[in-house]
Amino acid sequence: MAEKVVYRAKKKKIKLFDIVNYIVFILIGLLIMVPIWKVIVDSLNAVGVYQFRLWPDQFTVGAYRTILEEESLIRPFLNSVWTTVLGALLGLTLSTLGGYVLIQFDMPGRGLFATFLTITMIFSGGMIPEYLVMKELGLTNNTWILVVKHGLSVYNLVLMRNFFEGIPGSLYESARIDGCTPMGIFFKIVLPLSKAALASIGLMFAVAVWNDYSNVKIYIMDPLKVNFQYKLMVMVADGDTPNTTYGVAQSTLHNAGIIMAILPFMLLYPFLQKYFVKGVNIGAVKE
Amino acid sequence: MKRKVLSVLLTSAMVMSMAACGSSETTEAPASNDAAASTTTDSAAADTKADAAASTDTAAADTETAFQLTEPIKAYVDGTVNYVKEDSGKEEFVSQLNAAISEKMGYDVTVEFTALDHSGYTDAVGRMFAGGDYPDVMIMNAGMFRQYMTTGLLWNMADAYDNAEFQSRLTAPGLNESLKDKDGALYGFTPAIGGGCPTYVKKAWLDAVGMKAEDIKTYDDFYKMLEAFTTGDPDGNGVNGDTYGFISAGLYGEEAPHINYLPDFWQDGYPGLLKGEDGVWYDGMQTEATKNALLRMQEAYQAGVIDPVSYTAGTKEAREKYWSADQTGSAGVFCYWAGSWYDNIATNLEKNGVETELVQLDPIAEVAAIGGYLNRESPVWVIIDDGDGDDAREQAIFDAFIEPMLDGDKCQTLWTYGAEGTHWSLKAESITTGTGEKEKTVEYAEGEFHCLPTIADPTTLFKKNHIDNAAVIAPLTNGYSNTTDTVAASNTHFVNNCVDAPQAPSCDTITNEGVAITDAIKAVISTVVVEGGDVDAAMQTYVDTVGSIVEQALSELNAQ
Amino acid sequence: MFEKKKVMTSAGVEVRKKPLGLRIWTNRGYYVMFLPVAIFVLILNYWPMLGVRYSFYKATPITMNKGTNEFVGFANFTKLFETDAFWNAFQNTLELSIMKLLITTATAVIVSIFLNEMGNLLAKKTLQTIIYLPHFMSWAVVASVASLLLSPSVTGMVNGMLRDWGVLGEADKNIYFLADKEMWRPIFYIINIWKETGWGTIIFLATLSGINPEQYEAADIDGATRLQKMRYITMPALANTILTVLILNLAKVLNMFESVFVLYNDAVYDVSDVIGTYIYRQTFAVALPNYGYSTAVGLFRSLVGCLLFVICNWASKKVRGRGIV
Repeated sequence: MAEKVVYRAKKKKIKLFDIVNYIVFILIGLLIMVPIWKVIVDSLNAVGVYQFRLWPDQFTVGAYRTILEEESLIRPFLNSVWTTVLGALLGLTLSTLGGYVLIQFDMPGRGLFATFLTITMIFSGGMIPEYLVMKELGLTNNTWILVVKHGLSVYNLVLMRNFFEGIPGSLYESARIDGCTPMGIFFKIVLPLSKAALASIGLMFAVAVWNDYSNVKIYIMDPLKVNFQYKLMVMVADGDTPNTTYGVAQSTLHNAGIIMAILPFMLLYPFLQKYFVKGVNIGAVKE
Repeated sequence: MKRKVLSVLLTSAMVMSMAACGSSETTEAPASNDAAASTTTDSAAADTKADAAASTDTAAADTETAFQLTEPIKAYVDGTVNYVKEDSGKEEFVSQLNAAISEKMGYDVTVEFTALDHSGYTDAVGRMFAGGDYPDVMIMNAGMFRQYMTTGLLWNMADAYDNAEFQSRLTAPGLNESLKDKDGALYGFTPAIGGGCPTYVKKAWLDAVGMKAEDIKTYDDFYKMLEAFTTGDPDGNGVNGDTYGFISAGLYGEEAPHINYLPDFWQDGYPGLLKGEDGVWYDGMQTEATKNALLRMQEAYQAGVIDPVSYTAGTKEAREKYWSADQTGSAGVFCYWAGSWYDNIATNLEKNGVETELVQLDPIAEVAAIGGYLNRESPVWVIIDDGDGDDAREQAIFDAFIEPMLDGDKCQTLWTYGAEGTHWSLKAESITTGTGEKEKTVEYAEGEFHCLPTIADPTTLFKKNHIDNAAVIAPLTNGYSNTTDTVAASNTHFVNNCVDAPQAPSCDTITNEGVAITDAIKAVISTVVVEGGDVDAAMQTYVDTVGSIVEQALSELNAQ
Repeated sequence: MFEKKKVMTSAGVEVRKKPLGLRIWTNRGYYVMFLPVAIFVLILNYWPMLGVRYSFYKATPITMNKGTNEFVGFANFTKLFETDAFWNAFQNTLELSIMKLLITTATAVIVSIFLNEMGNLLAKKTLQTIIYLPHFMSWAVVASVASLLLSPSVTGMVNGMLRDWGVLGEADKNIYFLADKEMWRPIFYIINIWKETGWGTIIFLATLSGINPEQYEAADIDGATRLQKMRYITMPALANTILTVLILNLAKVLNMFESVFVLYNDAVYDVSDVIGTYIYRQTFAVALPNYGYSTAVGLFRSLVGCLLFVICNWASKKVRGRGIV
């Protein structure tokens, strides 16, 4: 409210626009928050309510405690944490290396490398052939599959390369004259200048690993090796087997699980926001 | 004809485009040769490995009775074995099972369980087979079993079964006999009947509209009850008409017998291929009975007596609506699994503060006329044939794993109630369950069988492991019984009021085109029931789309 | 080592005229750096590609492991091309994903422009965080909440609101949004907008923050209205970014799966079934699947994808002066 008053004092003619703008955005915010609010309220409600509620009928944090205390729930959560961290690191390593090599325009075979990567964007072996290869590699029924499967994304590699191209060429040149090896330039010049891209693309990798459900479904059988997203889906969407009962209503637990699944990013995002905007900016929109 | 031409054109276009894309794949071509080479060597290696295994097998089997299982028995199970799940006392169950089996066999035998998620079981197993991971013994649901029966993967256990110790104690010998094929081969074994879905009603709702469960005898009574629930105020919130008579998790289930969530509407109709009493297969979809069933559902659905969301609702949504703390929009009647699920629904109603008893209805006359609620085909245990032509190992697995399941004593108790001291006990003690107002304490005397509180939630009790004591085909001889349990009561009621579901058809056409037939059936149901369309027109569309496939399937089935 | 390095760098721009051997030697460090990427891609992407040969076989879980797959030539493809359900899925894939791409991009652009006009920094940041949130929710969760709000029964909030506002009369039945052939696609787009618009704005907001403020100041001096500034300064600045986003995403429109899978049902197959869900039903909903057939569908999809990629790459070269990669 206060902002509007300030604006009105400053520039009278845009008052209407601002009011409309704020109202529209408050509506948009509400539209987005309503479904999420439903989940939050239900996760704190001791009784299972199918309908929409503004506040919990009977407040409890029992569901969150259950998730933290039950081995079969917290283990998948921890699996999600470590695979996400390692997956993002591996993803960043490979996409920075690949992206850096792809900007070496005088390197013989550069075009070939680009084609080599592009083909993987279009063709894939399909689920069963991939399963058989992973089986050969010993990655079936193995939580590491999550790290490996997301280790390379050509899309992110291209974003990374675009970003590197934005670094002034003179910096590379002077480093080279100083006798830096390619690896030296990479570590001393490229990476320190790319913090924003690293943060934003790292987040993209992290979101992909954290939210992965289908690879777990396909590759992992052992219930203690799955990630949290999968465990959640089994709880939320599974059919006819009575779930192991926990001390709280089933739906309360499911909803608490949903919140736990988005919580890490809700907490992390504000810290990454400024990097993120900058990173994509220089990366993809550089033209 | 036109389509034939088009497909030929497209196929040749494919060849061309692949040749064109070959420019980028030229580097790949030699690689694929390599792969072919490597797969042949792989399979060669596998062969020699199998040979080696075979030779050691035969060496060991020289003195046939002396065959010993040296490796652990690998078992794949789905969600129906409760105590191999996490937080369920898995270690104790498995170690006591190992001990009991070892005692029986006279040497150390261990079992290694791989518990796969229920929903993705079939396809997960398919992938594991493709990758060469075979168990020694596993559970298959009926549909899966019918498909795998003819593949040569499963061991024929007919002899082992016929000579099993439990034969003399079988109360329902017909169950496994019916699994034998026409040559008398038996590829799967089931220790209990399959179970199914009776009709549940909220007692409080009946009271509110002044009706009695005993009076619901015919479809007319049933429908009047649904109408009363729909138009009246059974939940007592002061608003008429904000409730429904009936809710169902979908109008056509993915798993056979497909219609088990709406027995009172389907009655003698069945949307699928059926084997007549004369042994001839016919299409149940194209019968008057099915047409009438569709019209009954159409009437109820269009009148708003069935919660409209039933068409897309999954089991979870239907359940949660049924037991929601706020009963607005909930339904009075729900058909769901007997046994553990009776207890689960009742417990959730209670937890959410919905004050009602859950009544399991006797089948209405029209349902009773076909024999009662459908008892689905049981999931079966199968033994994987290692293909070495020697039965000693498979026989040993049968003796160690499957036969003891019905030994009437130690092993069967493990499979029924779990591990002593973890899942059940004979000690004198007092057990408290429930919380708040619902808290109750029961005193047990020394030697009195009772189940123990669960590990994850001490206010509830363990109920059953894999076999339902009320549904087992050879009763426990040690007399252990959880008689006070509502689960057993629900099961007994169901067993007394059920009829075997139709046998799932299995032939090449079904394997290859089953999805198309299912899609066509669902299309009829959605057109008639949800959209209120003309039933004859919908049936005609069905015949037009998949009529020829169905004909083909029927002729294959009748030739079997 | 140090010496050699100096020699080659002193060559500077002339490097291209050097003999190939020397250029390779000069860049040896980069080849070493590319090695991990190459190995990774070879093993994880190219090795499985050899599996496309299964599309010429009848391959079930059992025959596959025993190596007894039956060679069927182009039979899997012939079956595919003869199946109406597949062509329906193919057409839906193109229609749904292209429409979705256009609509979500458009909303993202509009939201970014108006968000950019917001003066208060705190309000702007809070809103940004809120509109990104749905992206972190998985599709299954979004679908379960959506089906709750859109439910046709008396508990459905949207139907309740329509009734309160008089859109639905006394005699009208509640709308079955997710099982109605007319309503399904609009609802699908709306849910996509809800989930992905926020994430989509990131790139456009970034572009907007890069516009030189002097341009706006100059326009102010000329007495331009806010809408005029949007029309003549903001939109042209965004045009290139919009095209980039469209082109990059157009190449992967055929991959659509999860968003449809969690929202569709058999009543709306006609308007909702896509190639991804079609493959899923052929592989997962069958007890003894023919993996050869699903691989064939996948291969066909890849070939069409190849075509799309070539088109996008060409468009990209036209518009941006360079290919996608």
